[in-house]
Amino acid sequence: MNGDINDMKQPMDNFIVETKNLTKRYRPDILAVNGLAMRIRRGEVYGFVGPNGAGKTTTLRMLLGLVRPSAGECTVLGEKPGTPAALARMGTLVETPAFYPYLSGRDNLRVLARLSDTPYSRIDPALEEVELLKRAGHKFKSYSLGMKQRLGMAAALLKDPELLILDEPTNGLDPAGMAEMRRLIRSLGRGERTVMLSSHLMGELEQICDRVGVVKNGSLIAEGSLDDLRHGAQLRLKAEPEARAREVLEKIEGVAGAEPVNGYLVIDASPARAAEINRILVEAGVAVSELGPVKLSLENVFLNLTGEEA
Amino acid sequence: MLDALAAQLLLLRKRAATWILLCFWMLVTVVFAYVLPYFAYKGDIRFRARTGGVLLSVMLPHNLVSSLLGGFPAFGGIFVLILAVLAMGSEYTWGTLTPAFTQKASRLKVFFSKVLALAIAIVPFVVMVYLLGYIASMLIALKEGQSTQPPDLWLLVRALAFSWFILAVWASFGVMISVLSKGTSLAIGLGIIYGLVLEGVISAFSRQITLLGYLSKIFLRTNSYSLLSPLGVTFTGEGPGGFSGSTVSATQAAIVLAIEIVVFLAVAAAIVRRRDVTGAS
Repeated sequence: MNGDINDMKQPMDNFIVETKNLTKRYRPDILAVNGLAMRIRRGEVYGFVGPNGAGKTTTLRMLLGLVRPSAGECTVLGEKPGTPAALARMGTLVETPAFYPYLSGRDNLRVLARLSDTPYSRIDPALEEVELLKRAGHKFKSYSLGMKQRLGMAAALLKDPELLILDEPTNGLDPAGMAEMRRLIRSLGRGERTVMLSSHLMGELEQICDRVGVVKNGSLIAEGSLDDLRHGAQLRLKAEPEARAREVLEKIEGVAGAEPVNGYLVIDASPARAAEINRILVEAGVAVSELGPVKLSLENVFLNLTGEEA
Repeated sequence: MLDALAAQLLLLRKRAATWILLCFWMLVTVVFAYVLPYFAYKGDIRFRARTGGVLLSVMLPHNLVSSLLGGFPAFGGIFVLILAVLAMGSEYTWGTLTPAFTQKASRLKVFFSKVLALAIAIVPFVVMVYLLGYIASMLIALKEGQSTQPPDLWLLVRALAFSWFILAVWASFGVMISVLSKGTSLAIGLGIIYGLVLEGVISAFSRQITLLGYLSKIFLRTNSYSLLSPLGVTFTGEGPGGFSGSTVSATQAAIVLAIEIVVFLAVAAAIVRRRDVTGAS
């Protein structure tokens, strides 16, 4: 799944983020990112998932030029990370939103607007987009966690960026706020804008992302569209008589399992072999009423790939 | 650069700590330079008869420079050091270097715009103190029926420039130690210990121990006081603003202080440019 054929056919300028062998070692004994190879296409919403400590935030910080790689290469918007040319076209929200507590939300955005040569006229639309306009004059330290998160989003949108890098943007939001943020991210991801979204919430990513990269121990262990990832190497079928079906299935080479799950038999076999298995069962006198690939939830995909406990 | 500077000035201007430090520094200066000496002059008749005339003369407007200058290498430096540490160190404490370094301005642009903003912010730490001191001296002169002759203009201009320069060195020192310590608390503590304790202790022994004598010649206070000597100001070892350590020539002091500014800022800039930014510390 990692770096599939279709990806290779894409022209290089179509990848808005590209890393090769990206590595970050903080100390001899701390390898945060290990040879990460990742490519994000222009205009897609890319989910970046992994367990705690997998190296997600360090990777994002390297893409922003905040952390220097120990080895490997990385380009963002065709530029070296952290250069003014790259940063001018990016909006970011990394970890907890960090702002000056004694300034109002609006003044905080004024500071960032000054540092990014963005006209002040962009500030209020950005605040309105995240529904913070009414509290824009209040000090940041008086904001709830959800409001801080929304101000972080407003800051990320300030430059009307081509690339948005968002790290856990729904942190601290209530369910309504999360739904609103999902809607916002989806709308932001439409058109030419690219969104890279790191999150623990698989349901959230499932609803928003076009493609997902799974990182574990600092390496990308899977990357692909949601459909690619969710179609695991399992088939489920309804067959009568079930006992005879199990008996036949166990004799087919390369097929394992045949466990009954919710009225279906689930077998470990490539979905590409569905027709062959159907033929063998029918020839053995088994009536097959349903046969198809098992569609895993993204959460299950994630747990299977990372070996985490549910 | 102007946009980045405007951002940094906004940060300093809107921060209560900036104004609190300015007000407290002005208060300390006026209290030690005018209020307490005036009460000493008025309160003790025998003292007034003996040396009161000299004391009153020092508090009059034409002696404004000599009354105020002594406070800059001592208290003024510490106040500005705290200001610089709060301005730079808080960026680490609050994690605000992350948004600052991910806009468009380069790290060095952000850093030097902050340094420049601090250089501008310390102007009122000089001007306001002299203005308030002048008002206090005028009130005393009027109250005591003494001359209201203003200080020599050229002397005043040089005093303002030298005072700013001394505060700039302390601000640079504050920037460096806050970058080194990635925060405010340790930097303020170290700065105060250095400025008010360490330099004083080492300077006190500098005449007895040759090595300490050499060492004290690069100290901020030693060079700051030495810089002020061409202004005709002498500092005794007694009381606030007094200095008992060894001194160097004014030219040497100016060179050493200028080198120190460059070194402090170069060290801080190199660290800011190279060090990974990993969030709030």
